[in-house]
Amino acid sequence: MPKLIIDDIPVEVPPGTSVLEAARSVGITIPHFCYHPALAIAAACRLCAVKLLDGPVKGIQMSCSLPAQDGMVVSTTDPDALKMRSLVIEWLMLNHPHDCPVCDEGGECLLQDFTIAGGHSRRRYVGKKRTFQNQYLGERIHHEMNRCIECYRCVRFYQEYAGGTDFGVTGSAGRVYFGRFAEGALESPFSGNLVDICPTGVFTDKTGRFRARYWDYEFAPAVCQHCSVGCNTSPQNFQRELIKIVARRNDQVNGWFICDRGRFDKEYLNSPQRPRDPEIGGAPGEYRLALEAAANRISEFCLQNGAASLAFVGSGRLSLEGCLVLAELARVVGAPFCYFTESAAAQGSLAAVRLLNEQNAARVRDIEKAECIALFELDLMEEGAMLSLAIRKASLAGAQVFRVGGAREGEKHPLPFRYQEVATVDEVPFEGGSKGVVICGAGGKSPELLSYLASSGAKLVMLQPGPNAFGAALVSLERKGATLSDLVESGQIKAVVCFEADLPPWLLERVEVLACADWKRGGLTEKASVLLPTTTWVESNGTSINYEGRAQRFLRSRPAGLPLKGLDPKYYSSETEAVALHPPRVHRNYIPGGAEREAWRVMADLMLELGGEPVNEPLTGRWGKLRDLDPEGEGVRIYDLVSAQDLS
Amino acid sequence: MISEELKKSLAERVAGAITPREATVDVMKELQAHYGWLTDEAVGEAASLLGLSPLQVEELATFYEMIYRRPVGKKVIHVCDSISCWCADCDGIIAHLKKRLGVELGGTTADGMYTLLPCACMGRCGDSPAMSVGGTPYGHLTPHLVDEILEKERRA
Ligand code: SF4
Ligand code: SF4
Ligand code: FES
Ligand code: FES
Repeated sequence: MPKLIIDDIPVEVPPGTSVLEAARSVGITIPHFCYHPALAIAAACRLCAVKLLDGPVKGIQMSCSLPAQDGMVVSTTDPDALKMRSLVIEWLMLNHPHDCPVCDEGGECLLQDFTIAGGHSRRRYVGKKRTFQNQYLGERIHHEMNRCIECYRCVRFYQEYAGGTDFGVTGSAGRVYFGRFAEGALESPFSGNLVDICPTGVFTDKTGRFRARYWDYEFAPAVCQHCSVGCNTSPQNFQRELIKIVARRNDQVNGWFICDRGRFDKEYLNSPQRPRDPEIGGAPGEYRLALEAAANRISEFCLQNGAASLAFVGSGRLSLEGCLVLAELARVVGAPFCYFTESAAAQGSLAAVRLLNEQNAARVRDIEKAECIALFELDLMEEGAMLSLAIRKASLAGAQVFRVGGAREGEKHPLPFRYQEVATVDEVPFEGGSKGVVICGAGGKSPELLSYLASSGAKLVMLQPGPNAFGAALVSLERKGATLSDLVESGQIKAVVCFEADLPPWLLERVEVLACADWKRGGLTEKASVLLPTTTWVESNGTSINYEGRAQRFLRSRPAGLPLKGLDPKYYSSETEAVALHPPRVHRNYIPGGAEREAWRVMADLMLELGGEPVNEPLTGRWGKLRDLDPEGEGVRIYDLVSAQDLS
Repeated sequence: MISEELKKSLAERVAGAITPREATVDVMKELQAHYGWLTDEAVGEAASLLGLSPLQVEELATFYEMIYRRPVGKKVIHVCDSISCWCADCDGIIAHLKKRLGVELGGTTADGMYTLLPCACMGRCGDSPAMSVGGTPYGHLTPHLVDEILEKERRA
């Protein structure tokens, strides 16, 4: 391991580490633009200059592309290095339009930071600036080429990392242009990462432009709730409105990036259609009264029909906390409870959770390092898009990828790697199985089929049908949950109380809905006699368990309540006061529309109404170990919390 | 549109390359010879022959200065403005060319004969100032010599 000295600090790093990374490991940030830990080295910007005072190489060097070697003595503060960096940043800024006040990147711009850090603060250039025509890149990303500093991050990400082919770099010398062949929406389902990765404001998120600055945002570490991969995100809220979502690094899950669904599919969070006030028989009312009404309906129903004809229904949309308290609530009433509505989907999810263990559940690293990968009957870009980038890495490193059973109906995006089609999984040449990975969707698969796939000896990825469906299946096995369709078909169940559940129409038709707690409207909320609004992940703390059994904590990043933008004039003192984007000048001790509660708290409140014990901490028993889960950490795999016996 | 024959020979050229991308320049040059310049249609044809996206062909097409993405005259003049030629007063040669041809840099003469383009060092620094006309290199240029070359090339 090379030992070197950086600014008088002795550093030892693994071979192949660059001087820039070695410096970073001891807390020294050398200004850089083209360097990005996830991308290949380009050494294009020349900003990361340091001076080598002694050792195998001497003089000014680019630290991002210089491997650390024994005996190097590096200075990041030598006057020559400082001078070099300030000149480089000055020339990178020659053509920059200096339009920070009207640039959405301002305040979260690496170019601003490193211009200052690089020591360039006074413009000397008086000539004409080079200008470009921007392109229309679709409804999500705005293009402003004049701000480009030619670091090549965007194209290295888009083509090399993400396998996109419709965006790249054209021209040469002073005419280098980053864009498409012709105007049009970017095709890659990872295009939104351009916003994060461009160090300046060439690409900004069109869905949240000109709303707020970085320092206005309310942030918290979050976990994407669109699929079971569980990518880490950082939602940026302003005045109770979600403006943008950016990726948050987690090397065990999503690396530095997220897919476009995770980034842009967010309108439902701000939607005026979201239920905000509780409803009793369709009429809005206080939360306390709604809980009372729900409890009364439940008691009356149980008195008449017996508790066994009522089911409490949750889903993989609930957090682990919600799943656990749901079982408690059902116990108080003595009724069955379910996390899955249809047996086909349930079977697969439950079987996957039974089959997976610490050894065979593939980590994302296992995918990246695999030699042979089989994709079994799934639409990967829909069920777990980010995994396709791990497979791409493996494929570029020489892994063979096989697709079993062909494309699924309605696939929107091509797979960003090369693969061969085969008819059955038996044709996939797993040799010894040590470096093989089988990837399939668990939902709707038969347990026999999943066991068969597991018997290949390869590591397994079984994508779940919901962000926390793994957690729901675990709790279902642990607490002996049922499946709603089984209960209904056997004629046992006549009514349901639902928490963030989705019932297919045929099931909905056959049950009475005593109460429904959800953050979105649908058939269930329509039919429910009592509606109890819940918070979404943005307004909740919770835990979800992803497809590989990794528990991750997400935190509330804004309070519950209506966004200020579009707030109903009834909350203002007069029509004239109800002008856009100023909070009402009316004193209140509550937030308009802020009655919603986290699902597990609604359950706990209902338990109290029904004569149960208060629940102050939803993570109990073995799950108590997850209470201290660090939301900014990598999460933990849960396999040492549960034993095969618990799940039998 | 290109002929089936040309398409076939280009496909063979691509098949013979270790990676299709490395055949891109050859394919673009052939298509340019066919159309006179590399039209959008030609970029599309090159892309499908090479298994690349049009953008990926465009990346290479716009990098090389001898691939023309706009209509050009019958012969293109590349006049060097890099350092050795600059020392040998290429500025004077360029000014002379502009005057003689009645065009600015990047322009094409009214008769469609010549397009005038500046270019980077052609590796003929020893013969500076240098230029090439329709692919033929010329060095030690003087205004007088330039006139002779233009006359000769026009007739050739
Ligand atoms: S567009 Fe942004 S990421 Fe791409 S080269 Fe320019 S500055 Fe770098
Ligand atoms: S892959 Fe899934 S979890 Fe990750 S960002 Fe996309 S939708 Fe969200
Ligand atoms: S960061 Fe080293 S050259 Fe750009
Ligand atoms: S500088 Fe003109 S040919 Fe080299």
